[in-house]
Amino acid sequence: MSESTSNRKPPRNRDSWAKQIDRLSVGELPAEAINLNVHGRRPTSPLQGFGQLWQKTYIMRLEGIPEGADVTPAKVIAEWKANFASFWPEGNNFYGALQGIRPGEVAVLNLSVPGGGRLSTGVHVIYADDESFSFMTPEGHMFAGMITFSAAEDGEGGPVVQIQALIRASDPIYEATFRLGFGHKAEDEFWFATLRNLAAHFGGSGAPALRQVCVDRRVQWKEAKNVWQNAAVRTALYLPVIFVRRLLRRD
Amino acid sequence: MVLVEAFTATVRRVGPAALIELAGLIDGRAEAELEQSFHDAVRLSPEEVTLDFGGVNYINSTGIALIVGLLAKARASALPLAAVGLSDHYREIFEITRLSDFIEIRQEDSHE
Repeated sequence: MSESTSNRKPPRNRDSWAKQIDRLSVGELPAEAINLNVHGRRPTSPLQGFGQLWQKTYIMRLEGIPEGADVTPAKVIAEWKANFASFWPEGNNFYGALQGIRPGEVAVLNLSVPGGGRLSTGVHVIYADDESFSFMTPEGHMFAGMITFSAAEDGEGGPVVQIQALIRASDPIYEATFRLGFGHKAEDEFWFATLRNLAAHFGGSGAPALRQVCVDRRVQWKEAKNVWQNAAVRTALYLPVIFVRRLLRRD
Repeated sequence: MVLVEAFTATVRRVGPAALIELAGLIDGRAEAELEQSFHDAVRLSPEEVTLDFGGVNYINSTGIALIVGLLAKARASALPLAAVGLSDHYREIFEITRLSDFIEIRQEDSHE
């Protein structure tokens, strides 16, 4: 028998993991943020979703970095964590802690959706170290799952940056958008733009590529009930109320 | 200097179960070997696959995603998955990531 499990030395990355929580709690946000569908929601793993399970890997080598620039994987991750929101495509907002991405943080996302609408949801930072960081999504998010951001040297040039998502559409409405193609297309364009913006931050460029694998083709019908927490529907329903409240506060 | 302990996965049959003994670091570099070990375990036609984490001393979030992927494949094949040899820290990680909702975590120590 090996050493007892409870006596084992804690791993060196122990502090890189978030503490266990049952439900998400949102801190103070800027006045313009739409804070819906995050506070009180439970994080969801890829196993709690409805749709097909996909592993999507967006990968890009940082090229054309100015000579003499010190762009190591650790530097890339440090900058990415510190300025995460600034790399998102225009019209999408990430309201996280001012200190950047840290384990245990909860961020509110206000996203643009086709047709000019907004969607409010969030993420929970479950892991962050010098090489990578990861989010889990809350109930109601488009996806149930985990997304990991990392950087590494592969010995063939500049650092390679990667975004890897292990995700299922949370409910039948979201799954329909993915089956019809535009859900995947919007997701892919979002992360490609993020990677290009990250490269530009270092004065370089890159050609992002996508590798995708369908890990489980089945849908999980018992999770169809997730539709009641659909953040897109709830945001659309609550937005008029929020705008009226803001107007009344001005008077 | 940081010592890098390579990931290993050894498959053997223990009664009706296929046991995968994991050791070392589970991160992105473990993907190919972890996948292969799962395929080898399934080829034994077991009633269950047991993952033994007794020799694991590091898992990062990419490693957890690999384990989630294995669990999804096991569920797609209607094959129960159990975990043994988890330290208190990794039990907590399984709670945080909600893996524990889908994988049976046994109190017993590693099969070593």
